Amino acid sequence: MYRALRICSNRGAYEALPEPPRPIDLARARGRLERQGIAVVDARVMLIAALEVEVTISQNGRLLFKTRDPAAAERVLDQLRGLLELDGPPVESPNARPPAPSRTAKGGNQSGG
Amino acid sequence: MARGVMLMSGGIDSPVALHYLLRQGHEVVGVHMDNRPFTDDSPLAKVVDHLAMLRERYAQPIPLYVLPHGPTQIALMRNTDRHVGCVLCRRFMWRSAERIAEREGASFLATGEALGQVASQTLSNMRNATASVRLPIVRPLIGFDKQEIEAVAKSIGTYEISTRPGLCCQAVPDRPATRTHLVQILQEEERVDVERIIDDCVRQATIL
Repeated sequence: MYRALRICSNRGAYEALPEPPRPIDLARARGRLERQGIAVVDARVMLIAALEVEVTISQNGRLLFKTRDPAAAERVLDQLRGLLELDGPPVESPNARPPAPSRTAKGGNQSGG
Repeated sequence: MARGVMLMSGGIDSPVALHYLLRQGHEVVGVHMDNRPFTDDSPLAKVVDHLAMLRERYAQPIPLYVLPHGPTQIALMRNTDRHVGCVLCRRFMWRSAERIAEREGASFLATGEALGQVASQTLSNMRNATASVRLPIVRPLIGFDKQEIEAVAKSIGTYEISTRPGLCCQAVPDRPATRTHLVQILQEEERVDVERIIDDCVRQATIL
C-alpha cells in the first residue's frame, strides 16, 4: 500500500514507498505501460516512464516523481495505482529479473554497506 | 599556465575547484556529463549558473561541453555488476573528458573530488576510475573537508546555486563498492562496447 508521498532530501522530487515493502515486477510493469502508449526506458533494475511527470519505478517498489509539485506527483501516483495494480495483493514474481550480472566474488571488499 | 578540462557536476565542490584553477591563472574548459533521465535538468542549470558567475569573476570565457551520459548509464546498468557502477560510470566520464581535452588542446583533467566524501571517492576507486585515461588528473580539493569547501563556496557565491533543489543521481546503487580491483573493473567493462559508447557520447556533445 502506497500511503503518502514525501519530498526527497534534495527537494527535487517526491517519492512513494510501499508499506509493507512490495517489489514490482518490472517486466510486467513495462508491458502494461507500453500497452498504454507510455514511453519507457528500461534500465533493467529500474524503469523510467514518461507520464505527466517522469517517474522512476524501482524493483523494490520505490516510485520517484520528478516534479516539485506534490499535486502532480499525487495524480501520477493515482494513475500508476490503476495501471500497475500497486495496491493489489502481494504478487509472486515468476518473471522477476535476475540479479545484476557478476563474475566477481561477493567478498567483504565489494560493498560499503 | 596550462589549459585543462574540468568536470562540472552542479554540486558544491566542482565550482570551488574551478575557482582555485582560475585563480592560479589556468585556462579551463568545462565538461558536464548530462545524466538525464537518471536526474532532472537541475544539475545542468546549476553548472550554467556556476560558470556564469566564475566567467564574470575571472573574465574568462570558460566554454562548457555538455555530453549525454544517460545512454552510457543505461548500457552499464543493463550489462554490468551494479556494485561497481560508480567506478564504471566515472571511467566513462573521464574518457569522455579526455576526448574533449584532445579536441581542446588541454594538458590536464580536473575534478572537485575530495578524499572520502562519498562512497565512490575512496583511493582505490579513484585510482581505478582514472586508470582509464592518460592525462594527469588535478584535484584541487583533495585534502579539504566539507566545511572548508562550503566556506569557500559561500565566499565566491556558488553555494546558493549548488544547494538549490535538485535530484540526486538515480543510477547510484544501494550499496556501491568502496574498494574495487582493476581486474574486476576491466572484466565488467568487457560486457559493453566501450569505444562505441564513448564515440556516441562525444559525437553528441553540445557547447554552451
